[in-house]
Amino acid sequence: MRPFKYTSTNSTSDATNLLVKNPNAHFLAGGTNLIDLMKEDVERPDELIDLTRLDLTSVSAITTGLNNGGVTIGAVGKNTDAANHQLIRQNFPLLTKAILAGASAQIRNMATNGGNLLQRTRCSYFYDTAMPCNKRSPGTGCAAKEGINRMHAIFGWSEDCVAVYPSDMAIALSALDANVKVMQADGKIRSIPIQDFHRLPGNHPEKDNNLNRGDLITSIEIPKNKFAAHSAYVKVRDRNSYAFALVSVAAGLELDGNKIVSAHISMGGVAHKPWRALKSEAFLKGKAATTANFKAAAEAEMVDAKTLSHNKFKVDLGKNTIVSALEIALRGTDSKA
Amino acid sequence: MEEKNKSIGKAVNRIDGILKITGKATYATDYPAKNMAFAVIFKSTIAAGTITNIDTTLAEKAKGVLTVITHKNAPKLNEKGGIRGGALLQSPEILFYGQNIGVVVAETFEQATHAAHLIKVDYQKKEGKTDFEKLAPSAATPKGKELADLVRGDAKGTLNTAAIKVEEIYETPIEHHHPMEPHSTIAVWEDDKVILYNGSQIINGAQTAAAETLNLKPEQVRIVSPFIGGGFGSKGGQWANLILTAVAAKAISRPVKLALTRQQMFNSVGLRQQNIQKISLGATKEGKLISLAHETTTQTAIDNEFLEPCGDCSKIMYEVPNSLISYKVAPMNIILPTYTRGPGKSTGSFALESAMDELAHKLKMDPIELRLKNEPQKDPSNGKPWSSRKTVECLKEGAKAFGWEKRKPTPGTNKIGDDLIGYGVACGTYPARQRDSSAIVKLTKSGANVLATVEIAASDLGTGTNTILAQTAADGLGISLEYITVKLGDSNLPPAAGSVGSVGAASFANAVNDACTKITDELLVKSGKQFFVRPTAYQLMVSENISEFQTRVDAKAPKEADQYSAHSFNANFAEVRVNALTGMVKVTRFLAVTGAGKILNPKTARSQIIGGNIWGIGMALSEESVIDPRWGNFATRSFGDYHVPSNLDVGKLDAMFINEDDKIPNKMGVKGIGEVGIVGVAAAIANAIFNATGKRIRKLPTTPDKLI
Ligand SMILES: Cc1cc2nc3c(=O)[nH]c(=O)nc-3n(C[C@H](O)[C@H](O)[C@H](O)COP(=O)(O)OP(=O)(O)OC[C@H]3O[C@@H](n4cnc5c(N)ncnc54)[C@H](O)[C@@H]3O)c2cc1C
Ligand code: SF4
Repeated sequence: MRPFKYTSTNSTSDATNLLVKNPNAHFLAGGTNLIDLMKEDVERPDELIDLTRLDLTSVSAITTGLNNGGVTIGAVGKNTDAANHQLIRQNFPLLTKAILAGASAQIRNMATNGGNLLQRTRCSYFYDTAMPCNKRSPGTGCAAKEGINRMHAIFGWSEDCVAVYPSDMAIALSALDANVKVMQADGKIRSIPIQDFHRLPGNHPEKDNNLNRGDLITSIEIPKNKFAAHSAYVKVRDRNSYAFALVSVAAGLELDGNKIVSAHISMGGVAHKPWRALKSEAFLKGKAATTANFKAAAEAEMVDAKTLSHNKFKVDLGKNTIVSALEIALRGTDSKA
Repeated sequence: MEEKNKSIGKAVNRIDGILKITGKATYATDYPAKNMAFAVIFKSTIAAGTITNIDTTLAEKAKGVLTVITHKNAPKLNEKGGIRGGALLQSPEILFYGQNIGVVVAETFEQATHAAHLIKVDYQKKEGKTDFEKLAPSAATPKGKELADLVRGDAKGTLNTAAIKVEEIYETPIEHHHPMEPHSTIAVWEDDKVILYNGSQIINGAQTAAAETLNLKPEQVRIVSPFIGGGFGSKGGQWANLILTAVAAKAISRPVKLALTRQQMFNSVGLRQQNIQKISLGATKEGKLISLAHETTTQTAIDNEFLEPCGDCSKIMYEVPNSLISYKVAPMNIILPTYTRGPGKSTGSFALESAMDELAHKLKMDPIELRLKNEPQKDPSNGKPWSSRKTVECLKEGAKAFGWEKRKPTPGTNKIGDDLIGYGVACGTYPARQRDSSAIVKLTKSGANVLATVEIAASDLGTGTNTILAQTAADGLGISLEYITVKLGDSNLPPAAGSVGSVGAASFANAVNDACTKITDELLVKSGKQFFVRPTAYQLMVSENISEFQTRVDAKAPKEADQYSAHSFNANFAEVRVNALTGMVKVTRFLAVTGAGKILNPKTARSQIIGGNIWGIGMALSEESVIDPRWGNFATRSFGDYHVPSNLDVGKLDAMFINEDDKIPNKMGVKGIGEVGIVGVAAAIANAIFNATGKRIRKLPTTPDKLI
């Protein structure tokens, strides 16, 4: 690990000012991703600005405005606390399920909600500084495109990068249409819809998201919805715990009897960002909640998949996982997976 | 001694358990040394070629750096001294990706790590041999004689005449040992002698290899290794990191600590090679085997040969008149493969026991019945009688305990919700051997008590060797456990075999037992008296009022052992649940039934077996190291990519032992259990997956993509 300076503050404006002052400074939250990357010499900050003393840890109900009835989650709060908060367990159990499907208890106890959104890809070439990687070193090429790309994208990838975004939490947030609240370097607050938060790789895979330098995530807001009774998070992975998704699906159904009023479906492990399965959603709207319809909906989304040499299986797996998540959601949030 | 007073055979807690859970057990890097410096290895980023320039200027100038050692300034070492895998900085030539190319030594680990990042290396690259799939067709006959073709009768000819045939290819990936404790060493020089604190499965082997490589005499090298955080074969032989620590310490005339990182473990300390195994079985309509061929194609390092003997189980498991066991090997630019838990048997049994399941399915016969039908009365490979073989009991009692009768013979018919349920069985075996070991027993009278110290250069991988040796001494001397001290893990102690190939318990315990018998004999002589009932050493020390007494033995296996075929045998039963939509597998129940001679301590023995089972679950479901052939590097670089089983992958595990009184392989009747616990496990699980889903897995690991 390279030598670095450590700074800590309890003021959000200090934090952003410090960051803007030093172009090589990084925010530090739980450190579960950033410190790993520093050890691997992938991230090379010379200063860390610790955010964990900021007063941005609470989870609370939103009682006014546009998102009335929703919940706001502090960016510096721990993943564990968000997952287990009563408001979230009751109103947004999908988020609880997704967070608890990620990492391990120890890591979730350290990891923060803001840090989780910003975790970087797990592409092993990105981690290996001896390998070409456009995301780590723009212009060097993409080792994964013709390489070991079993874990990689089937939607929205570019010639420059085929990586997938690894967060589970964000897949649920995407299905829940969350907004990410950011304090800019100039002190202004901006709200970014989760669908616009992360980027597809395009020609600039080094940019994971649409934050600007100095932006500090302060909270995540989830608007009120009617999915609580019928939601599911299904994560398919190489072992039953403590592995990143091959494919994951967050699904929420709003039902009127057996009729689907609205369905929200987001996929993980398939793209450089949470992948909203809009074609599946459109297909299901107004239809009966049947296995046949679930299958047809999954088909509608997956026809557009573009596979790489080692990840062809993700097409069928993606379909099955959508169906599985919808079946479980239909049976009810508390039914066993 | 009365059976009920005996310590052997009881589920005694580990005598070092408290030390371990309180962090007081001293593993290799836990030794304090004054003025210690820290070394970090850096590695090649090509698989084949030559280093043309290595620029260490920035690193040498970095804060805290004491020295940088590369092939340009490393001392001349003996590369044939017995260190595995080369990479001793003796030349600029690169033979595999991740070969050691230098060591940075600094005041702190962090400084050394940082400086290692500042080193610039230029290479002249050569085309490497890195793609096993492409190289496998041109694999050649191995040089090692023990892996020459073994031919009985005419396997290929009779196969053609068989009523029922199975001819399939089974593939297993590269696996890594990844013990919890990465390989690490502290080297402390005193004049021309060096102490190496270093996890070593074979204490004397490590001593000899280090001495010869460093051009020293064995007595100039001391290995200290009382506690080891696992090894699974990777600490059986020693690797360059041990030597480079000694070299670094010598270079700066200070103690040096060098611990490999988890990432470095992928190309520093061997691996289990990738195997392509072709099994051809021919049987009569009644299910009698008439032909068995087991042909293995595998890989090795470019400059050195190591193969695990995948055909070993096939040599002895079944009565079959025509048999062929053969090997082909492709040299590659990879680190030298090495012994890995159940070497050859865990992978070989996956192939053989999957094929047997396929045969049973074709015959519409219960797979247990098929095995019982082909049970050999003597060792089919050499005609020797078995010292004992309890496969039949393992299968029958296991079936009863597991509820085998609930298995639905037709695959895919046992369903609960989205889950498919399946049962599988597979057998396994591992040789039982005693190897030369010496031991000293020292007795000291202390008031009304007699204190005993047992000294032996044995090693304890974490398996409980300490504890079983204390139990052995307690019974052999008539002294209760709390008055016994076991000293092991130090090359200054009497030389012993290693904790490898399941020889540890038999070799060490028999040496200690012999020493106890001998010291009692000598005390009897010293007393000059005759007794009706043979007194214990304890009684003699007390009655004759002897304050101190000691003896030493050099124990050997009984001569007759050679005339028999001695092995442990097991039967493994697996129940799996496979999600029909996602392809995720969970091993909900697993039972291993083992006939392994005398079980010295059922508690530590159970841990050994279920530990082997858990690695077998990993082997069946998730463990795989993947090489990117374009560079020859591992694309799986951490525990994030190399998936050892998590708790959720492991259901209810049970270990049962079949009572076996077999004094042929050694006087104590100990057969060893370290290796056999993993043998047959992957096949039992793969067979259960077939029973659940109707999908036959012939390529491990069984990740979800293979089942959807
Ligand atoms: C072994 C392992 C397994 C894992 N498995 C999973 C898994 O299965 N699923 C999953 O979803 N995740 C998994 N994770 C990832 C884990 O969830 C993330 O590491 C964690 O959420 C990151 O949070 P953190 O607070 O530690 O972030 P840090 O590492 O502290 O920071 C990450 C990045 O976010 C920036 N940052 C942090 N907070 C803010 C803020 N408020 N505003 C602006 N920038 C900020 C930092 O500068 C940094 O660049 C795993 C991690 C590990 C180590
Ligand atoms: S997929 Fe993206 S992260 Fe991976 S190597 Fe290619 S550019 Fe780098």
